[in-house]
Amino acid sequence: MAHPQIAAFARLAKGGATPNRLVAGQDTKLSRTMHDIRYDAANDEFLVTNPFAQAILIFAGGADGNQPPARIIQGPSTRIGDPDRLDVDPAHDEIIIPNETAILVFSRKASGNAAPLRVIEGPDTMLRRATSAAVDPVHNLIIVGLNQGGRRGTPGALLIFNRTDNGNVKPRAVIRGPKSGITRINQIALYPEKGWIVATQPGEGADMEPEGAFIGVWSINDNGDVPPRWKINANAKSAMKKPRGVVLDPKNKEMIVADMRLNSIITYYFPEIF
Amino acid sequence: MTGRRSRIGTGIPTVALVLAAAAGVWLLFAHNAKEPELRVASQHALRAPNGQPQLVSIEPLPEMPGETCEWIPASARVSLLQERRAASSSAESSDERRTLDMDRAPVRTIRDPNPSYSAIAVEPASDMVVVTDENLFQVLEYNRLDNTPPTAKMTEPKRVIGGTNTKTEMMCGVYIDPKTLDTYVVNNDTQDWLAIFSKQAKGNVAPDRVLATPHGTFGIAVDEAKQEMYLTVQHQNAVYVYRKLASGNEKPLRVLAGNDTQLEDPHGVAVDTKNNLLIVSNHGNVSYRDPNDPESVPRGGAEGGGRSFRPGSGEFQPASITIYSRDAKENQRPLRVIEGPKTRLNWPGQIAVDEERGEIYVANDMDHSIAVFKISDSGDIAPTRLIRGPKSGIQNPTGVTLDLKNKELWVANMGNHSATAYPLGSNGDVAPIRKIRGGPAEEPALMIGNPGAVGYDSKRQEILVPN
Repeated sequence: MAHPQIAAFARLAKGGATPNRLVAGQDTKLSRTMHDIRYDAANDEFLVTNPFAQAILIFAGGADGNQPPARIIQGPSTRIGDPDRLDVDPAHDEIIIPNETAILVFSRKASGNAAPLRVIEGPDTMLRRATSAAVDPVHNLIIVGLNQGGRRGTPGALLIFNRTDNGNVKPRAVIRGPKSGITRINQIALYPEKGWIVATQPGEGADMEPEGAFIGVWSINDNGDVPPRWKINANAKSAMKKPRGVVLDPKNKEMIVADMRLNSIITYYFPEIF
Repeated sequence: MTGRRSRIGTGIPTVALVLAAAAGVWLLFAHNAKEPELRVASQHALRAPNGQPQLVSIEPLPEMPGETCEWIPASARVSLLQERRAASSSAESSDERRTLDMDRAPVRTIRDPNPSYSAIAVEPASDMVVVTDENLFQVLEYNRLDNTPPTAKMTEPKRVIGGTNTKTEMMCGVYIDPKTLDTYVVNNDTQDWLAIFSKQAKGNVAPDRVLATPHGTFGIAVDEAKQEMYLTVQHQNAVYVYRKLASGNEKPLRVLAGNDTQLEDPHGVAVDTKNNLLIVSNHGNVSYRDPNDPESVPRGGAEGGGRSFRPGSGEFQPASITIYSRDAKENQRPLRVIEGPKTRLNWPGQIAVDEERGEIYVANDMDHSIAVFKISDSGDIAPTRLIRGPKSGIQNPTGVTLDLKNKELWVANMGNHSATAYPLGSNGDVAPIRKIRGGPAEEPALMIGNPGAVGYDSKRQEILVPN
């Protein structure tokens, strides 16, 4: 993309409404390919990755303009390789980074060249192309999304680990297979109050308007080749084409989706899951 | 409205009857258990117990928190029932579970309806101006002499190429062949192709030729004399050089990449054939290769490679312009680097070179300027000229190109849906001599590009959208 930025729109914004604020510029240390953003309400901060500089950027919640991050996690001790997505657990003060073949867990307050507190990695973990993660602090789980292994290659999956797992541990559950409909998983949102895993399934990466793209809702108790309990499909009715991002707004019972093909943000009223 | 009234009209008596019956049953059955209290209360209310339900008092219902008339779609009832069933029969086999399709219309959509110009090329002999649109995924051709009055909604393009057959989506670079008038379009993401369209191509058509390019390819420059094509690759910190007419999975002629190159998130690229130079703009994000890792060596084409950097080696460097010998390859150092606070470089995008005047033009995205440097500049040096200010209409310029025949400078302004032209020697806050617009005047562009994620700031009630 020609222009990196983080735009903050009013919740009720629609159409071509301009953002309330834009975080962009050399001092922000942002790059393109920010495939995740997490707001930490408890500490009023938001977090993104910079994959080109192998860094985690933590900003003050109200950051605006060319404002630098409040903290940066970066350096040889971090072991950060290709940080695509992330999540933050304010309850346990931790940041979770999927790192292709490992899950790195840092202190939320970490800064600079900090070593991870725990690392889930090894042959038993099934971590391959781990590019997304989300943490459920209520049920003490980490949900990991696996990417597809190349076009028409090994499909992605959802792996479920215990939050405090460390080392070469098997996932406690694996959601994968034709019934699951998972080609690859992008951003994941959780609703711990009911144990829901809400995941974007954007279909084949190279297809502009892929078949079988949807937002799926699974349970943290699911395991095996299980279909989502609910899904909103990309089609004419939903106006979605290629959903890649998802976040929940429980207060307003809304699900907010980032659609890559439309370069748009789509909000659905979705009371069923709240 | 009529239907809703009628439902409410019949619903209220039904609910009242049910409530009254329930209250009666409760009083009857609770009579024994609560008899002493009821007796006292009734006596206090000057009532005598008579074995029948009596109205004791009327109390208003407590206020309900939140919205009390929340709309719930008909589908919710089905899904809630399903949820309860699922919760109450957890032993239910997964094989038996069916997905409930909950397709519904959105309640709100944020979307810029107008094109956002990310890159620009001009061909003066045929008056062609071609821009790439990173918002609606189009390639648009305009007449070089188009000048849109402020009252007009937009400039009518001469032709538009776009759609699922075109192999074009997140386009960041464009080049026009001065002889054939073919348009070369670089995809930065999702479509790892360089797509070439003939002058006749229009609509949702397949490219006339494609070249498989590395993921994250950004800028393009062509050396017509040597028939070589230079492409910057963000994800590899590399410059790939191909035959200009390369196609399919053809390998590059050479690759400039390595820890000594100072290629740091490269964007724009230009070739100075007079001075035999290769010039690259960099955002400054960098990770370093392990020289012993074969996967870290870029190989090009379908063989890939080049994306493997040493974990934990990432750094932030200042934005820069790196200048190399035109035939630089492998891990060659730059001849000189323009970098530092005086340069005002702030996410430099596309670049262009005026070989005769010995100048480098930089689309300086977040400075909202075109910064002009001498080709001989080095180190922390201020631009010799800076086109910038409210009269200039320059906003988030990501593309720049030169029309040396007509002595004009063209800018693609991603921030306001416009392409603007200036005299070549312009400096300061100068008004454009012509303007091409993809949307209404003064309407800012949202610049949402390939949103791969979304966040929600519950404190400020804001939706956070990263590109």
